[in-house]
Amino acid sequence: MRRSGSLLGSVLIGVPLLLAALGPLLSRLLGTTAPTGTSPLLPPGGDFVLGTDVLGRDVLGLALGGGTSVVGLTVGALALAYVVGVPLGLALAGTVRAWADRAVLAVLDIVLVVPSLLLLLVLAAAGRRGTWWLLAVAALISLPPIVRLVRAAASVPDRRAALETMTMLGEPWWRVRLLEAGRLVAGPVAVDAGSRLVLLVALVTSANFLGLGLAPDAVDWAVMIEQNTTALFLAPVTLLLPAALLVSLCAGANLLVDQALAHRGAS
Amino acid sequence: MRRAPLRLAVGVGQLVVVAVVVFFLTTSLPGDTAEIVLGQDATPEQVAALRAQLGTDRPAGERFADWASGVLAGDLGRSLQTGQPVVTELSTRLGSTALLAALTLLLLLPLAVLAGTAAGRRAGSSLDRGLTGFLSSVQAAPEFALGLLLVALFALQLGWVPATGGGGGLVTPAVLVLPVVVLVANQLGRLARQVRAGVLTVDRAPHVVHLRRLGLPEPVVLARHVLPGAVLPTIQQLARVVDGLLGGVVVVESLFALPGIGSGFVEAVRARDLPLVGGYALLFAATTILVNLAAGLLSARLTPYRAVLT
Repeated sequence: MRRSGSLLGSVLIGVPLLLAALGPLLSRLLGTTAPTGTSPLLPPGGDFVLGTDVLGRDVLGLALGGGTSVVGLTVGALALAYVVGVPLGLALAGTVRAWADRAVLAVLDIVLVVPSLLLLLVLAAAGRRGTWWLLAVAALISLPPIVRLVRAAASVPDRRAALETMTMLGEPWWRVRLLEAGRLVAGPVAVDAGSRLVLLVALVTSANFLGLGLAPDAVDWAVMIEQNTTALFLAPVTLLLPAALLVSLCAGANLLVDQALAHRGAS
Repeated sequence: MRRAPLRLAVGVGQLVVVAVVVFFLTTSLPGDTAEIVLGQDATPEQVAALRAQLGTDRPAGERFADWASGVLAGDLGRSLQTGQPVVTELSTRLGSTALLAALTLLLLLPLAVLAGTAAGRRAGSSLDRGLTGFLSSVQAAPEFALGLLLVALFALQLGWVPATGGGGGLVTPAVLVLPVVVLVANQLGRLARQVRAGVLTVDRAPHVVHLRRLGLPEPVVLARHVLPGAVLPTIQQLARVVDGLLGGVVVVESLFALPGIGSGFVEAVRARDLPLVGGYALLFAATTILVNLAAGLLSARLTPYRAVLT
């Protein structure tokens, strides 16, 4: 059962991930970019295997090329959140100034209560949208739980003696508080990264579906769905193909993360 | 419970911070309302005239004082598009979202208890693994993608329910079926997992084992002794669920073209109707803060040992 779960998860995540990695290259090889002026909503068959979308673009080309930005944005936002969050959490765990610790956590708690899409909607209303805003907001929203996790993992009592010994032996502050404490944190962060990745895929694609992130003509599965919502009855494949790929990506990632967590818990 | 006033004060403080952030994000950063509303073809005179009319040529601090005093008096300003008071716009849309949320919770809670109990009592069985795996995979999928697949199956293929509300209001109850299913599917996994963990712990607790040994009928053990202990700790999790529902409502109402505060928010954003966006943002933030507060107080009340410890 456990093995079959991993297998199912690998297959589900494999197809969209392969497309994200090789799709743009494949799309160029197959020549799946419709020339400008192609009629919109051509039925499948003929020059275009899956037809064209409302903007006259080749649906096959969009499906091949649209995964790269989904995966790229998610991984980018996650990396950004950890690059900021891990040092911040370590610094909070290491500081002797309790007021600074409390102040930073209080500020982060404000971010924690803001619903994820709210910030993106407000920014988009003020004309601020695009890849960088999306990355920054997705990272910011992930920050409070990461900082709390790192702070807690770096101050586990049973390792305190080792840290104190290193300090008394005259090791520099950064080696004790950042490197040695960082080793303590690596495990919990790796576990957390899996489930956070799944959450971020949903957030980033939802933002793109609502038109809050990438430009309207971007080649991206979620943007493709947003652009083609009016074609639900005329050309359902323009919506269902990217939707199926996204569901498969998320469900597969989730299954693998669950398996990894169960494995970790069992050992 | 003694900490309730303190928590309330923190909640009010959070709301004030959100209000300030929303105001400065929407109006005070470069790129102003007049330019956005008029578009790129506007002449500088037109922009200046609209700025004077909207009052956005005054210093930001002064405008914030104006806006904040209005908010305190219950006046959120007027929509740029319709000229209607923002409060009226919000309240007309609140009803249908409340209906959607209520239906979702009504289905979600019993289902979560059922699924969590079924999985937790046979932890490690294939039923447990299958159910937990399925629910959490469904929950991981973005609402709009899952919704589209359901539309394709139940509306286009089988023709059981209409695909979208068509933007014309809640004409028949059938338009609510798929949105509620998507919202339930999106939250069920998280909640069921909590119930499962609770049942797993309580089911093996010494007092429950002892009650079974005494020969108490299994349904009584389950309903009177296992479930209360297992379900109550999940109340804190309910706050996250409501937060997720708010985000989900934005996506689901846009996807199914339902009237409500979610789709209203997105439309206000598309129209760059900043007073309306500010109103929605405050409403969403206030709801989240209130729900978190209520969940915190409720769970503090239900777990008295924390009051003893702290």
